[in-house]
Amino acid sequence: MKSEEILPLIHEAIVEVLPELDGHDFQETDSLDALGANSMDRAEIVMIVLEAMNLEIPLVDTFGPQNLGELARHLADKTAVAR
Amino acid sequence: MTGLGVTTAVGQGKTAFADALFAGAQRFAVMRRPGRQAGTRFVGAEIPAFAPTNRLAARELRTVSLTGQVLLATLEEAWTEARLDEVPAERIGLVVGGSNLQQRELTLAQDRHRAKPRFLRPSYGMSFLDTDLCGLATAAFGIRGFAHTVGGASASGQLAVIEAAEAVASGRVDACVAVGALMDLSYWEYLGLNAMGAMAPESCADAPELACRPFDAGRGGFVFGEACGALVVERVGARPAPAEPYAALTGWSVQLDGNRNPNPSLEGEVRAIGQALERARLTAADIDYVNPHGTASPVGDRTEADALLAAGLTRARVNATKSITGHGLTAAGAVEAVAALLQMRHGRLHPTRNLVEPIDDRLRWVRGEAVEAEVGHCLSLSMGFGGINTALCMSKCESRRA
Repeated sequence: MKSEEILPLIHEAIVEVLPELDGHDFQETDSLDALGANSMDRAEIVMIVLEAMNLEIPLVDTFGPQNLGELARHLADKTAVAR
Repeated sequence: MTGLGVTTAVGQGKTAFADALFAGAQRFAVMRRPGRQAGTRFVGAEIPAFAPTNRLAARELRTVSLTGQVLLATLEEAWTEARLDEVPAERIGLVVGGSNLQQRELTLAQDRHRAKPRFLRPSYGMSFLDTDLCGLATAAFGIRGFAHTVGGASASGQLAVIEAAEAVASGRVDACVAVGALMDLSYWEYLGLNAMGAMAPESCADAPELACRPFDAGRGGFVFGEACGALVVERVGARPAPAEPYAALTGWSVQLDGNRNPNPSLEGEVRAIGQALERARLTAADIDYVNPHGTASPVGDRTEADALLAAGLTRARVNATKSITGHGLTAAGAVEAVAALLQMRHGRLHPTRNLVEPIDDRLRWVRGEAVEAEVGHCLSLSMGFGGINTALCMSKCESRRA
Protein backbone atom coordinates (compact mmCIF):
# COMPACT_ATOMS: atom_id res chain seq x y z
CA MET A 1 0.00 0.00 0.00
CA LYS A 2 1.36 3.41 -1.00
CA SER A 3 1.67 6.30 1.43
CA GLU A 4 -0.69 8.41 -0.75
CA GLU A 5 -3.35 5.73 -0.18
CA ILE A 6 -2.65 5.59 3.54
CA LEU A 7 -2.89 9.34 4.19
CA PRO A 8 -6.69 9.53 3.64
CA LEU A 9 -7.11 6.60 6.05
CA ILE A 10 -5.10 8.53 8.62
CA HIS A 11 -7.25 11.63 8.08
CA GLU A 12 -10.45 9.62 8.52
CA ALA A 13 -9.14 8.00 11.69
CA ILE A 14 -8.14 11.38 13.13
CA VAL A 15 -11.63 12.79 12.50
CA GLU A 16 -13.20 9.70 14.09
CA VAL A 17 -11.16 10.18 17.25
CA LEU A 18 -11.04 14.00 17.22
CA PRO A 19 -14.41 15.00 15.68
CA GLU A 20 -13.64 18.70 16.11
CA LEU A 21 -11.12 18.34 13.25
CA ASP A 22 -13.86 17.48 10.74
CA GLY A 23 -13.16 19.64 7.67
CA HIS A 24 -9.55 20.36 8.72
CA ASP A 25 -7.11 20.75 5.82
CA PHE A 26 -4.56 18.11 6.88
CA GLN A 27 -0.93 18.62 5.86
CA GLU A 28 1.79 15.94 5.79
CA THR A 29 3.73 18.14 8.20
CA ASP A 30 0.92 18.14 10.80
CA SER A 31 1.86 16.21 13.92
CA LEU A 32 -0.77 14.34 15.93
CA ASP A 33 0.50 16.14 19.00
CA ALA A 34 -0.05 19.57 17.43
CA LEU A 35 -3.50 18.47 16.23
CA GLY A 36 -4.45 17.94 19.88
CA ALA A 37 -4.14 14.16 20.22
CA ASN A 38 -3.00 12.82 23.58
CA SER A 39 -1.21 9.47 23.86
CA MET A 40 -4.46 7.47 24.09
CA ASP A 41 -5.91 9.34 21.10
CA ARG A 42 -2.75 8.59 19.13
CA ALA A 43 -2.97 4.87 19.92
CA GLU A 44 -6.66 4.82 18.90
CA ILE A 45 -5.95 6.64 15.64
CA VAL A 46 -3.10 4.35 14.66
CA MET A 47 -5.09 1.20 15.52
CA ILE A 48 -8.02 2.38 13.39
CA VAL A 49 -5.60 2.92 10.47
CA LEU A 50 -3.96 -0.48 10.99
CA GLU A 51 -7.38 -2.17 10.92
CA ALA A 52 -8.36 -0.27 7.77
CA MET A 53 -5.08 -1.47 6.17
CA ASN A 54 -5.47 -4.96 7.67
CA LEU A 55 -1.85 -4.59 8.80
CA GLU A 56 -1.09 -6.67 11.90
CA ILE A 57 1.95 -5.10 13.53
CA PRO A 58 2.53 -4.18 17.18
CA LEU A 59 1.53 -0.61 18.00
CA VAL A 60 5.01 -0.06 19.42
CA ASP A 61 6.39 -0.41 15.85
CA THR A 62 4.52 2.78 14.88
CA PHE A 63 6.09 5.05 17.50
CA GLY A 64 8.93 6.65 15.47
CA PRO A 65 7.22 8.98 12.94
CA GLN A 66 6.87 12.65 13.93
CA ASN A 67 4.15 13.79 11.51
CA LEU A 68 1.36 12.44 9.30
CA GLY A 69 3.55 12.15 6.19
CA GLU A 70 6.23 10.21 8.08
CA LEU A 71 3.56 7.95 9.60
CA ALA A 72 2.07 7.19 6.18
CA ARG A 73 5.48 6.39 4.69
CA HIS A 74 6.43 4.30 7.73
CA LEU A 75 3.23 2.24 7.41
CA ALA A 76 3.78 1.91 3.64
CA ASP A 77 7.26 0.48 4.38
CA LYS A 78 5.72 -1.96 6.87
CA THR A 79 3.24 -3.24 4.27
CA ALA A 80 6.15 -3.79 1.87
CA VAL A 81 7.92 -5.85 4.55
CA ALA A 82 4.72 -7.71 5.47
CA ARG A 83 4.38 -8.84 1.87
CA MET B 1 -28.09 14.80 52.20
CA THR B 2 -28.08 17.93 50.12
CA GLY B 3 -28.22 16.90 46.47
CA LEU B 4 -29.94 14.18 44.47
CA GLY B 5 -29.63 13.01 40.89
CA VAL B 6 -31.51 10.22 39.19
CA THR B 7 -31.87 8.69 35.74
CA THR B 8 -34.26 5.80 35.12
CA ALA B 9 -36.32 4.39 32.29
CA VAL B 10 -39.40 6.22 33.61
CA GLY B 11 -37.71 9.60 33.88
CA GLN B 12 -34.48 11.60 33.96
CA GLY B 13 -34.15 14.07 36.79
CA LYS B 14 -35.96 14.38 40.11
CA THR B 15 -39.08 16.10 38.76
CA ALA B 16 -39.78 13.59 35.99
CA PHE B 17 -38.86 10.70 38.28
CA ALA B 18 -41.12 11.84 41.13
CA ASP B 19 -44.01 12.37 38.68
CA ALA B 20 -43.48 8.85 37.30
CA LEU B 21 -43.33 7.35 40.80
CA PHE B 22 -46.55 8.96 41.98
CA ALA B 23 -48.31 8.04 38.73
CA GLY B 24 -47.07 4.44 38.94
CA ALA B 25 -45.59 4.73 35.44
CA GLN B 26 -43.64 1.96 33.74
CA ARG B 27 -41.55 1.34 30.64
CA PHE B 28 -41.15 -2.43 30.60
CA ALA B 29 -40.75 -4.00 27.18
CA VAL B 30 -38.76 -6.60 25.31
CA MET B 31 -35.31 -4.96 25.45
CA ARG B 32 -33.89 -3.51 22.24
CA ARG B 33 -30.46 -2.13 23.08
CA PRO B 34 -27.74 -3.89 21.03
CA GLY B 35 -26.14 -6.71 23.02
CA ARG B 36 -29.18 -7.45 25.22
CA GLN B 37 -30.71 -10.43 23.42
CA ALA B 38 -29.34 -13.69 22.07
CA GLY B 39 -32.37 -15.01 20.22
CA THR B 40 -34.21 -14.30 23.47
CA ARG B 41 -37.11 -12.03 24.45
CA PHE B 42 -35.84 -10.69 27.75
CA VAL B 43 -38.00 -7.98 29.28
CA GLY B 44 -36.54 -4.92 30.97
CA ALA B 45 -36.89 -1.16 31.32
CA GLU B 46 -34.42 0.73 29.11
CA ILE B 47 -33.63 4.43 29.43
CA PRO B 48 -34.88 6.30 26.37
CA ALA B 49 -32.83 9.21 24.95
CA PHE B 50 -31.47 11.29 27.82
CA ALA B 51 -29.79 14.69 28.15
CA PRO B 52 -26.03 14.18 28.51
CA THR B 53 -23.68 16.34 30.56
CA ASN B 54 -22.07 19.26 28.76
CA ARG B 55 -18.85 18.81 30.71
CA LEU B 56 -17.34 16.52 28.06
CA ALA B 57 -16.23 17.37 24.53
CA ALA B 58 -17.45 15.19 21.65
CA ARG B 59 -13.99 13.58 21.41
CA GLU B 60 -14.19 12.49 25.03
CA LEU B 61 -17.72 11.10 24.67
CA ARG B 62 -16.63 8.71 21.91
CA THR B 63 -15.01 6.30 24.33
CA VAL B 64 -17.44 6.81 27.23
CA SER B 65 -19.80 3.89 27.87
CA LEU B 66 -23.54 4.20 28.46
CA THR B 67 -22.80 3.61 32.15
CA GLY B 68 -20.35 6.53 32.09
CA GLN B 69 -22.63 8.91 30.22
CA VAL B 70 -25.58 8.21 32.51
CA LEU B 71 -23.30 8.53 35.55
CA LEU B 72 -22.08 11.97 34.46
CA ALA B 73 -25.58 13.25 33.70
CA THR B 74 -26.89 11.97 37.04
CA LEU B 75 -23.91 13.29 39.00
CA GLU B 76 -24.39 16.69 37.34
CA GLU B 77 -27.91 16.97 38.76
CA ALA B 78 -26.85 16.12 42.32
CA TRP B 79 -23.71 18.27 42.10
CA THR B 80 -25.61 21.33 40.89
CA GLU B 81 -28.33 21.00 43.51
CA ALA B 82 -25.80 20.69 46.34
CA ARG B 83 -23.71 23.55 44.86
CA LEU B 84 -20.54 21.47 45.20
CA ASP B 85 -18.64 24.02 43.07
CA GLU B 86 -18.52 26.01 46.34
CA VAL B 87 -16.67 23.22 48.19
CA PRO B 88 -12.87 22.95 47.80
CA ALA B 89 -12.08 20.16 45.32
CA GLU B 90 -9.69 18.52 47.82
CA ARG B 91 -12.57 18.17 50.30
CA ILE B 92 -14.90 16.30 47.94
CA GLY B 93 -14.97 12.51 47.53
CA LEU B 94 -16.71 10.14 45.15
CA VAL B 95 -17.84 6.56 45.76
CA VAL B 96 -19.15 4.69 42.74
CA GLY B 97 -21.27 1.70 43.75
CA GLY B 98 -21.02 -1.34 41.52
CA SER B 99 -18.62 -3.70 39.80
CA ASN B 100 -18.59 -5.29 36.32
CA LEU B 101 -20.68 -2.33 35.24
CA GLN B 102 -20.05 -2.09 31.49
CA GLN B 103 -20.46 -5.69 30.37
CA ARG B 104 -22.73 -4.99 27.39
CA GLU B 105 -20.30 -2.64 25.70
CA LEU B 106 -17.38 -4.98 26.42
CA THR B 107 -19.35 -7.81 24.82
CA LEU B 108 -20.08 -5.64 21.76
CA ALA B 109 -16.38 -4.74 21.44
CA GLN B 110 -15.36 -8.39 21.80
CA ASP B 111 -17.95 -9.50 19.24
CA ARG B 112 -16.76 -6.80 16.81
CA HIS B 113 -13.13 -7.92 17.04
CA ARG B 114 -13.51 -11.65 17.55
CA ALA B 115 -12.19 -12.45 14.06
CA LYS B 116 -9.39 -9.86 14.26
CA PRO B 117 -8.52 -9.47 17.95
CA ARG B 118 -5.23 -7.67 17.33
CA PHE B 119 -7.16 -4.62 16.14
CA LEU B 120 -9.04 -4.26 19.43
CA ARG B 121 -9.09 -0.55 20.30
CA PRO B 122 -6.46 0.55 22.83
CA SER B 123 -9.17 2.40 24.79
CA TYR B 124 -10.59 -1.03 25.76
CA GLY B 125 -7.53 -1.39 28.00
CA MET B 126 -8.73 1.60 30.00
CA SER B 127 -12.49 1.34 29.77
CA PHE B 128 -12.86 -2.29 30.85
CA LEU B 129 -12.00 -1.15 34.37
CA ASP B 130 -14.93 0.09 36.44
CA THR B 131 -12.55 2.63 37.94
CA ASP B 132 -12.43 4.35 34.54
CA LEU B 133 -15.78 5.79 35.69
CA CYS B 134 -14.00 7.38 38.67
CA GLY B 135 -11.35 8.87 36.39
CA LEU B 136 -14.00 10.15 34.04
CA ALA B 137 -16.08 11.76 36.78
CA THR B 138 -13.19 13.26 38.72
CA ALA B 139 -11.81 14.79 35.50
CA ALA B 140 -15.21 16.18 34.48
CA PHE B 141 -16.04 17.62 37.93
CA GLY B 142 -12.53 18.38 39.21
CA ILE B 143 -12.89 16.15 42.29
CA ARG B 144 -9.58 15.91 44.19
CA GLY B 145 -10.46 14.33 47.54
CA PHE B 146 -10.69 10.63 46.73
CA ALA B 147 -12.61 8.34 44.40
CA HIS B 148 -13.09 4.60 44.26
CA THR B 149 -15.67 1.96 43.47
CA VAL B 150 -17.36 -0.37 45.96
CA GLY B 151 -18.87 -3.69 44.94
CA GLY B 152 -21.77 -5.20 46.83
CA ALA B 153 -23.86 -6.80 44.08
CA SER B 154 -27.43 -5.47 44.32
CA ALA B 155 -26.54 -3.65 47.55
CA SER B 156 -23.76 -1.67 45.79
CA GLY B 157 -25.71 1.59 45.55
CA GLN B 158 -26.58 1.58 49.22
CA LEU B 159 -23.07 0.49 50.11
CA ALA B 160 -21.80 3.57 48.24
CA VAL B 161 -24.06 5.79 50.37
CA ILE B 162 -22.73 4.11 53.50
CA GLU B 163 -19.08 4.52 52.40
CA ALA B 164 -19.77 8.18 51.61
CA ALA B 165 -21.34 8.65 55.05
CA GLU B 166 -18.32 7.04 56.73
CA ALA B 167 -15.91 9.22 54.74
CA VAL B 168 -17.78 12.36 55.75
CA ALA B 169 -18.23 11.27 59.37
CA SER B 170 -14.51 10.50 59.74
CA GLY B 171 -13.52 13.92 58.39
CA ARG B 172 -11.70 12.44 55.41
CA VAL B 173 -13.71 14.82 53.20
CA ASP B 174 -16.43 17.42 53.87
CA ALA B 175 -18.76 16.27 51.10
CA CYS B 176 -18.99 12.98 49.28
CA VAL B 177 -21.06 11.93 46.29
CA ALA B 178 -22.39 8.37 46.34
CA VAL B 179 -23.42 6.94 43.00
CA GLY B 180 -25.28 3.73 42.31
CA ALA B 181 -24.00 3.17 38.79
CA LEU B 182 -25.98 1.76 35.89
CA MET B 183 -25.18 -1.93 35.49
CA ASP B 184 -25.20 -2.43 31.75
CA LEU B 185 -26.00 -6.14 31.40
CA SER B 186 -25.11 -7.97 28.22
CA TYR B 187 -27.06 -11.00 27.11
CA TRP B 188 -24.43 -13.14 28.85
CA GLU B 189 -25.17 -11.75 32.32
CA TYR B 190 -28.89 -11.87 31.62
CA LEU B 191 -28.60 -15.49 30.47
CA GLY B 192 -26.66 -16.36 33.63
CA LEU B 193 -29.14 -14.68 35.96
CA ASN B 194 -31.97 -16.25 33.99
CA ALA B 195 -30.40 -19.72 34.15
CA MET B 196 -29.99 -19.49 37.93
CA GLY B 197 -33.70 -18.70 38.21
CA ALA B 198 -33.35 -15.13 39.44
CA MET B 199 -35.25 -13.47 36.60
CA ALA B 200 -38.94 -13.34 35.77
CA PRO B 201 -39.62 -15.95 33.08
CA GLU B 202 -39.12 -15.05 29.43
CA SER B 203 -42.82 -15.71 28.80
CA CYS B 204 -43.42 -12.32 30.48
CA ALA B 205 -42.62 -10.81 27.07
CA ASP B 206 -46.27 -11.35 26.17
CA ALA B 207 -47.35 -8.81 28.83
CA PRO B 208 -44.22 -6.87 29.89
CA GLU B 209 -46.14 -4.38 32.04
CA LEU B 210 -47.28 -7.24 34.30
CA ALA B 211 -43.83 -8.87 34.64
CA CYS B 212 -42.46 -7.00 37.65
CA ARG B 213 -44.63 -7.72 40.73
CA PRO B 214 -42.80 -7.30 44.04
CA PHE B 215 -44.55 -8.78 47.08
CA ASP B 216 -47.42 -10.09 44.93
CA ALA B 217 -48.42 -13.74 45.12
CA GLY B 218 -47.90 -14.00 41.35
CA ARG B 219 -44.32 -12.69 41.35
CA GLY B 220 -41.77 -14.59 39.28
CA GLY B 221 -38.38 -12.95 39.80
CA PHE B 222 -36.38 -9.81 38.91
CA VAL B 223 -37.07 -7.65 35.90
CA PHE B 224 -34.02 -5.59 34.97
CA GLY B 225 -34.26 -1.80 34.76
CA GLU B 226 -31.51 0.58 33.67
CA ALA B 227 -30.98 3.23 36.31
CA CYS B 228 -28.49 5.42 38.12
CA GLY B 229 -28.80 7.42 41.33
CA ALA B 230 -26.51 9.98 42.96
CA LEU B 231 -26.67 11.44 46.46
CA VAL B 232 -24.51 14.12 48.05
CA VAL B 233 -23.70 13.49 51.71
CA GLU B 234 -22.20 16.36 53.71
CA ARG B 235 -21.08 16.73 57.31
CA VAL B 236 -23.31 19.09 59.26
CA GLY B 237 -21.45 22.35 59.84
CA ALA B 238 -18.75 21.75 57.22
CA ARG B 239 -19.80 24.91 55.38
CA PRO B 240 -21.83 27.88 56.51
CA ALA B 241 -24.70 27.72 54.00
CA PRO B 242 -25.18 24.32 52.36
CA ALA B 243 -28.17 23.59 50.13
CA GLU B 244 -31.43 22.79 51.95
CA PRO B 245 -30.98 19.17 53.07
CA TYR B 246 -33.53 16.51 52.13
CA ALA B 247 -32.89 14.61 55.32
CA ALA B 248 -30.23 13.58 57.79
CA LEU B 249 -28.68 10.16 57.37
CA THR B 250 -29.19 9.06 60.95
CA GLY B 251 -28.38 5.37 60.78
CA TRP B 252 -26.84 2.74 58.59
CA SER B 253 -25.67 -0.83 58.74
CA VAL B 254 -23.86 -3.48 56.71
CA GLN B 255 -24.39 -7.06 57.87
CA LEU B 256 -23.02 -10.21 56.26
CA ASP B 257 -24.39 -13.74 56.30
CA GLY B 258 -21.10 -15.53 55.64
CA ASN B 259 -22.75 -17.02 52.59
CA ARG B 260 -21.44 -17.09 49.05
CA ASN B 261 -24.79 -17.98 47.52
CA PRO B 262 -27.64 -15.74 46.35
CA ASN B 263 -30.17 -16.86 48.97
CA PRO B 264 -31.31 -14.28 51.52
CA SER B 265 -31.19 -14.54 55.30
CA LEU B 266 -33.96 -13.46 57.64
CA GLU B 267 -31.49 -13.21 60.49
CA GLY B 268 -29.08 -11.01 58.49
CA GLU B 269 -31.83 -8.66 57.34
CA VAL B 270 -33.22 -8.28 60.86
CA ARG B 271 -29.72 -7.52 62.16
CA ALA B 272 -29.20 -4.81 59.52
CA ILE B 273 -32.54 -3.17 60.34
CA GLY B 274 -31.82 -3.38 64.06
CA GLN B 275 -28.37 -1.86 63.85
CA ALA B 276 -29.48 1.01 61.60
CA LEU B 277 -32.30 1.82 64.05
CA GLU B 278 -29.97 1.60 67.01
CA ARG B 279 -27.46 3.93 65.39
CA ALA B 280 -30.28 6.40 64.66
CA ARG B 281 -31.50 5.99 68.28
CA LEU B 282 -34.94 5.05 67.01
CA THR B 283 -37.27 2.11 67.42
CA ALA B 284 -39.36 0.35 64.78
CA ALA B 285 -42.40 2.26 66.03
CA ASP B 286 -40.75 5.56 64.99
CA ILE B 287 -40.47 4.50 61.33
CA ASP B 288 -43.18 5.95 59.10
CA TYR B 289 -42.10 4.43 55.80
CA VAL B 290 -39.96 1.55 54.56
CA ASN B 291 -38.52 1.40 51.06
CA PRO B 292 -37.71 -2.33 50.91
CA HIS B 293 -35.38 -4.16 48.55
CA GLY B 294 -38.49 -5.87 47.06
CA THR B 295 -37.14 -7.44 43.88
CA ALA B 296 -40.09 -9.76 43.14
CA SER B 297 -37.85 -12.74 43.89
CA PRO B 298 -40.13 -15.44 45.34
CA VAL B 299 -37.86 -16.31 48.27
CA GLY B 300 -36.33 -12.81 48.59
CA ASP B 301 -39.66 -11.01 49.03
CA ARG B 302 -40.98 -13.62 51.46
CA THR B 303 -37.82 -13.37 53.57
CA GLU B 304 -37.91 -9.56 53.52
CA ALA B 305 -41.58 -9.42 54.53
CA ASP B 306 -40.74 -11.76 57.41
CA ALA B 307 -37.81 -9.51 58.36
CA LEU B 308 -40.01 -6.39 58.44
CA LEU B 309 -42.48 -8.23 60.67
CA ALA B 310 -39.76 -9.63 62.91
CA ALA B 311 -38.30 -6.13 63.28
CA GLY B 312 -41.72 -4.81 64.32
CA LEU B 313 -42.18 -2.50 61.33
CA THR B 314 -45.95 -2.93 61.29
CA ARG B 315 -46.83 0.77 61.63
CA ALA B 316 -44.76 1.89 58.64
CA ARG B 317 -46.17 2.18 55.13
CA VAL B 318 -44.35 0.00 52.57
CA ASN B 319 -44.14 0.23 48.77
CA ALA B 320 -41.75 -1.21 46.18
CA THR B 321 -39.92 1.18 43.85
CA LYS B 322 -38.70 -1.68 41.64
CA SER B 323 -42.32 -2.28 40.52
CA ILE B 324 -41.92 1.02 38.62
CA THR B 325 -38.19 1.19 37.76
CA GLY B 326 -37.32 -2.50 37.46
CA HIS B 327 -34.28 -3.85 39.29
CA GLY B 328 -31.31 -1.56 38.74
CA LEU B 329 -28.97 -4.11 40.43
CA THR B 330 -25.90 -2.01 41.36
CA ALA B 331 -27.94 1.19 40.99
CA ALA B 332 -30.94 0.04 43.01
CA GLY B 333 -29.85 1.08 46.51
CA ALA B 334 -29.00 4.63 45.43
CA VAL B 335 -32.08 5.06 43.22
CA GLU B 336 -34.32 3.83 46.04
CA ALA B 337 -32.68 6.15 48.58
CA VAL B 338 -33.43 8.99 46.13
CA ALA B 339 -37.01 7.70 45.78
CA ALA B 340 -37.41 7.63 49.57
CA LEU B 341 -36.10 11.18 49.98
CA LEU B 342 -38.31 12.54 47.20
CA GLN B 343 -41.37 10.91 48.77
CA MET B 344 -40.38 12.33 52.14
CA ARG B 345 -40.09 15.84 50.70
CA HIS B 346 -43.38 15.60 48.78
CA GLY B 347 -45.26 14.03 51.70
CA ARG B 348 -46.57 11.35 49.34
CA LEU B 349 -45.87 7.66 48.87
CA HIS B 350 -45.93 6.07 45.44
CA PRO B 351 -48.10 3.07 44.55
CA THR B 352 -46.70 -0.43 44.07
CA ARG B 353 -47.48 -1.65 40.59
CA ASN B 354 -48.98 -5.12 40.16
CA LEU B 355 -49.46 -5.64 43.90
CA VAL B 356 -52.81 -7.39 43.44
CA GLU B 357 -52.52 -10.10 46.07
CA PRO B 358 -49.96 -9.10 48.74
CA ILE B 359 -48.02 -11.98 50.22
CA ASP B 360 -48.65 -10.71 53.73
CA ASP B 361 -51.61 -8.71 55.08
CA ARG B 362 -49.82 -7.65 58.24
CA LEU B 363 -47.71 -5.05 56.41
CA ARG B 364 -49.18 -1.67 55.39
CA TRP B 365 -48.67 -1.70 51.63
CA VAL B 366 -49.22 1.30 49.36
CA ARG B 367 -50.89 -0.39 46.42
CA GLY B 368 -52.97 1.09 43.58
CA GLU B 369 -52.70 4.87 44.16
CA ALA B 370 -50.21 7.27 45.68
CA VAL B 371 -51.12 8.30 49.24
CA GLU B 372 -50.40 11.41 51.32
CA ALA B 373 -48.11 10.62 54.21
CA GLU B 374 -46.00 12.64 56.59
CA VAL B 375 -42.67 10.81 56.77
CA GLY B 376 -40.39 11.83 59.62
CA HIS B 377 -38.19 8.73 59.62
CA CYS B 378 -37.76 6.10 56.95
CA LEU B 379 -35.73 2.99 56.27
CA SER B 380 -34.33 1.87 52.93
CA LEU B 381 -33.05 -1.69 52.57
CA SER B 382 -30.80 -3.49 50.09
CA MET B 383 -29.55 -7.04 49.76
CA GLY B 384 -26.89 -8.47 47.51
CA PHE B 385 -25.85 -11.94 46.35
CA GLY B 386 -23.11 -13.24 48.61
CA GLY B 387 -24.90 -12.60 51.89
CA ILE B 388 -24.90 -8.78 51.95
CA ASN B 389 -27.60 -6.93 53.90
CA THR B 390 -27.61 -3.13 54.21
CA ALA B 391 -29.98 -0.61 55.75
CA LEU B 392 -30.20 3.18 55.79
CA CYS B 393 -32.23 5.27 58.18
CA MET B 394 -33.07 8.78 56.98
CA SER B 395 -34.81 11.39 59.11
CA LYS B 396 -36.30 14.78 58.35
CA CYS B 397 -33.96 17.33 59.83
CA GLU B 398 -36.62 18.71 62.19
CA SER B 399 -37.43 15.13 63.31
CA ARG B 400 -33.83 14.41 64.17
CA ARG B 401 -33.16 13.50 67.75
CA ALA B 402 -30.17 14.89 69.62
